[in-house]
Amino acid sequence: MTAVLAIAGTGLRRFLRDRSNYFFVFVFPLLLVVLIGLQFGGEGGESRAIVVGGSDLADQVATGLEDGGATVSRGGSVEDAQETIARGRADAAVVVTEADDAAFGAGEPVELDVVAGSSTQALAARQVVSVELGRVGNDQRGVLSLEAAGIPPDEALAAFDTVAAVGPTVARSTVGDDSLDEAFAGLGQFDLGAAQQVSLFVFLASLAGAASLIQSRQLGVTRRELAGPVTTTQVVAGEALGRFVVAFTQGAYIVAGTAVLFGVDWGDPVATGAVLVAFCAVSASVAMVFGSLLDSVNVASGVGVGVGLVVAALGGSMLPLELFPDNLLTVSAVTPHHWAYEAYAEITRRGGGVGDVLPQLGVLALMTAILLPLGAWLLRRSLARAL
Amino acid sequence: MAAVLACEGLVRRFGDLAAVDDVSFTIAAGETYGLLGPNGAGKTTTISMVAGLLDPDVGVARVLGDPIGPAAVDVKRHIGLVPQELAIYPDLTGRENLAFFGRLQGMRKPDLEARVDEVLEVIGLVDRAGDLAKEYSGGMKRRLNIGIGLLHQPSLLVLDEPTVGVDPQSRNAILESVEALSGEGMAVLYTTHYMEEAERLCDRIAIIDHGRLQAEGTRDELLRLTGEVDRIDLVGSGDLGAAADALRGLSGVERVAHDGHTVTLTVHDAPTLVAPVVSTAVAARMSLADVEVSRPDLESVFLHLTGRALRD
Ligand SMILES: Nc1ncnc2c1ncn2[C@@H]1O[C@H](COP(=O)(O)OP(=O)(O)O)[C@@H](O)[C@H]1O
Ligand SMILES: [Mg+2]
Repeated sequence: MTAVLAIAGTGLRRFLRDRSNYFFVFVFPLLLVVLIGLQFGGEGGESRAIVVGGSDLADQVATGLEDGGATVSRGGSVEDAQETIARGRADAAVVVTEADDAAFGAGEPVELDVVAGSSTQALAARQVVSVELGRVGNDQRGVLSLEAAGIPPDEALAAFDTVAAVGPTVARSTVGDDSLDEAFAGLGQFDLGAAQQVSLFVFLASLAGAASLIQSRQLGVTRRELAGPVTTTQVVAGEALGRFVVAFTQGAYIVAGTAVLFGVDWGDPVATGAVLVAFCAVSASVAMVFGSLLDSVNVASGVGVGVGLVVAALGGSMLPLELFPDNLLTVSAVTPHHWAYEAYAEITRRGGGVGDVLPQLGVLALMTAILLPLGAWLLRRSLARAL
Repeated sequence: MAAVLACEGLVRRFGDLAAVDDVSFTIAAGETYGLLGPNGAGKTTTISMVAGLLDPDVGVARVLGDPIGPAAVDVKRHIGLVPQELAIYPDLTGRENLAFFGRLQGMRKPDLEARVDEVLEVIGLVDRAGDLAKEYSGGMKRRLNIGIGLLHQPSLLVLDEPTVGVDPQSRNAILESVEALSGEGMAVLYTTHYMEEAERLCDRIAIIDHGRLQAEGTRDELLRLTGEVDRIDLVGSGDLGAAADALRGLSGVERVAHDGHTVTLTVHDAPTLVAPVVSTAVAARMSLADVEVSRPDLESVFLHLTGRALRD
């Protein structure tokens, strides 16, 4: 353990001695904080919705959306709406036909078509739409039940409004499609995007740790360490621990910064912290595998960026996993990002605690438990190579 | 006395190349053992196996009786390695470098601090201990490199060409400290391609080429292999025959021959005999114009064994 700590401590000391690293630890994450905050923070990101149709139901939906904080435009055809969305001038459209209106009035189940793009902004808009549609549906259910009890429609509506003003709002989708709405339910400000970006960034930044191991090998220090009473596992664990501390500092800094400055909701801090720790451990271990496998710092940084981006995309850090086809989703399970994504989703969307993300934490821990010894084995093999 | 290091039939191949091919030798406590050979002879590969960095393909190296190898973590405590290439962090100070490697050896404060100070003294870096290693001269870096190997007072110190690329002054300082260390009872394995260093430092020397030990022994034993001997040539005038007769009586002188202006002696140990030889010749009324001493050296031994020069 002393050896591991000595190597980690020396790695950190050398890291901090290089002033240019300060940019990556303290300044760059701050830029990312601002970026995430503007995108996903409490204030920004007003959704732009189109309501197609002119009926009573359409009016109610539009008012509901406006109340929900969206900018609403009315009218036009479905095709117009699709084009507007495709051009990025709106995020989602709700299509209300005359038939829908009639069915709604009669108290029958209604399915409204929602057109949305695939940007994260569109997903947020879709979320707002589904929440509002749920509200509209609930209101109607209430009014209809009052009418059914023999109260005249006008009085029923007035009575309902008084109650609704004090009563709890139920934000559950009863209209529109399916699993997506359910998956994103509770994600009011779409905090998921921030989680995706933290994983992406922390993983990329950790891969830079490969360079530090390669440098130690090139300096001959690693050989010398191993000529002492130190195992390759200890060397790899020490180098990884140093990089882990850097990565965790960066990640925690971004989480705290976006939460404090922009009100991004990260859920239970203990659970989020645990996921971040587990994810940083995998990232640092991957760096050690690269650091033992590759012999050139330049190659390592190139490979690091490439692998970092591909793995992030595959793991749901660019496009949400919910939009993945099944077979791609299966492949994506090899990435740590996938499991971190699921864990953060559990924590931020469904209010999960550490207990709820134990499976994901377990998978991430298992990945570390495989990658670190692999790194050690590769490091041992690298000693027989001329550098 | 039990050997501190015993190598038994070490073989290490890289692909088709046998970098080390059936190498056996032992080193006792207090003994300095030299591996003398040109670049590519297999010195570093041998040392990598002795220091537990490489597994031999065949054979075994034992340190204080225990087999050494990458997995023999505890045995490595007894070894101090000074690698051929500098193995220090340039962005740490000399003191920080020493303390770091000391901690890896399991040393703790305050013992560690005291020992770091001692070693700084030995390698003459007390004044510069707080400067970053990258600001050191080449010789200072080399000394720091050696200091790290000494920290934990190993039973076996392994030095791989520690003077390569060093100015003559630093080289002398390094050689002196190695001499002092073996005086303290440390077993030293010293590789070099400089025959003067091997001659000066080593109690026994092995000549290595193409991965094989070509010969092993004390310096004198190796020199005897060539069949050459020390020679003293006295150039001058006077009664050279009388001078030659007088010189024949000196002990240590083997044969004496003379021509018109030179008396040639073959002797056992030229350096110690020069003074008596000169005074004897002068007493026999020879007036000397020049004295030339020549002795076979390890260079000639290497040439004799391999048919090539040591430095190519
Ligand atoms: N890691 C390696 N891979 C392949 N060949 C090597 C490796 N290390 C050394 N060699 C080869 O083995 C031979 C001995 O090298 P080395 O032990 O470094 O010699 P020396 O230290 O005496 O100069 C050389 O021919 C060298 O090219
Ligand atoms: Mg060498």
